[in-house]
Amino acid sequence: MTGRDRLVLIAVVALALLGAGWIAVVSPERKQAAKLQTEVTTAASALASAESQLANAKAAHARYSAEYASIVRLGKAVPPGREVPSLVYELAQASDKKHVDLASIVYGGGATGAAGSSAAATAGVAGFTQMPFTFVFNGTYNDLYNLFKALDSTTARTASGGVDVNGRLLTIQSVKLAPLTASSAAGSKGGANEMLSGTISATAYVLPASQSLTGGASAGAPAGATAASTSSAASPPTAPALARVVP
Amino acid sequence: MRAVNLIPPDQREGAGGAAGRSQGAAYAVLGLLAGVALLALLYGQAHRQLSSRRGQLASLTARTQQVQAQTGGLAAYTSFTALREERERAVAQLVDSRFDWAHSLHELGRVLPSTASIATIEGAVGSATGNLGAGAAKTTSGATPVSATPPGSVPSFTLTGCATSQAQVAVTLNRLRLIDGVSEVTLQSSSKGSAGSAGGGATGGCPPSGPAFTATLTFDSLPATSSVTASTVAATSGGSR
Repeated sequence: MTGRDRLVLIAVVALALLGAGWIAVVSPERKQAAKLQTEVTTAASALASAESQLANAKAAHARYSAEYASIVRLGKAVPPGREVPSLVYELAQASDKKHVDLASIVYGGGATGAAGSSAAATAGVAGFTQMPFTFVFNGTYNDLYNLFKALDSTTARTASGGVDVNGRLLTIQSVKLAPLTASSAAGSKGGANEMLSGTISATAYVLPASQSLTGGASAGAPAGATAASTSSAASPPTAPALARVVP
Repeated sequence: MRAVNLIPPDQREGAGGAAGRSQGAAYAVLGLLAGVALLALLYGQAHRQLSSRRGQLASLTARTQQVQAQTGGLAAYTSFTALREERERAVAQLVDSRFDWAHSLHELGRVLPSTASIATIEGAVGSATGNLGAGAAKTTSGATPVSATPPGSVPSFTLTGCATSQAQVAVTLNRLRLIDGVSEVTLQSSSKGSAGSAGGGATGGCPPSGPAFTATLTFDSLPATSSVTASTVAATSGGSR
């Protein structure tokens, strides 16, 4: 074996040793470091996501009072119960304001159908239950037009895209306007020639039985809120109610 | 004669070059040491990174658990917000699905010529196959509330009235086409009757010289509530009032 051969052999052995060292020691460590880097990245994104959720939760906590008031107001449009008396009261108020005579209300099918037990609210949707009504209003064309506007405005969209709730939400399916008969016109406001009878088929809505208005929440905290979360409120604590009795 | 060097090659001056007597083994050893040093450096770096990242990972995991615990404590509030948003979205969809009766009546009064009068108006919002009258049961289940006047329903008016002449009936039909949202105006009948009785199913009361007419106005179908997403965003910030 010549000196050159020995040199080459030594170099090969040295390279082999270095390669083995790289493969056995350094490379696994680097691979593990790279793998941990991936895990760190994943964990960082998970943390960012969790922090975002926490920020949302804190925001929800901070505006709870407004949300509660909002959902209660929405209950005026779609109440948890049938609330027929309040609906009649609202209609009577609106028709009085618009100089229209609220002649009749029939709950259920058409104007000739029987009201009462046979008039059941129809099961809606994943959401609201429908309550069909038939109303008869007597008034002039203009007054009836104003009444339609008033009925629409009880629950309306705002320019900003929100919902403005001032009363019960009604969807009108059909309208029939016809001259009022002389006998009916006698007791109505306005001139008999201009008086119309407006028969309106409309639907009111109620929450399904499975839903309550606020989902069990109170004005102070939602249902299931823990004491810790309540005490860690960003908003100032509610002052205790004081009841004073003056003799 | 050519000179011949009889000194053995390995004993000649400068023989072996840089390898010297060790024949390069020294360089090989040095190279090996350098390689080992490099490996040690790389290993150290990797090990340091490994330790550092393990620490980071532990810290991130602990922080994430802490944040998740805090979020869990406030879950009731986020659920309530979701409930409010869902309720508002459903109400908004119902509001959007309504037909604007007041506007249509206003338009009717605006376009009707003075040479014609209307005796009765019957309007209904129905599907293509018929009316959804009061009491029509809607038992469809789905993710959105079913309106009594669902998107796609076609509102229509049936008018009966009188005009001073057949030509004025034509004028009236043309004028009715000007109503906002009307897609079609169809004359069902227009006939002069004897005094006190109008033909073609129209309501009586027209003068004998004037025809009684019946016309149907078909409106554009109710639009789908495409603005729900935007409204939800607005509702989230503004809420109902």
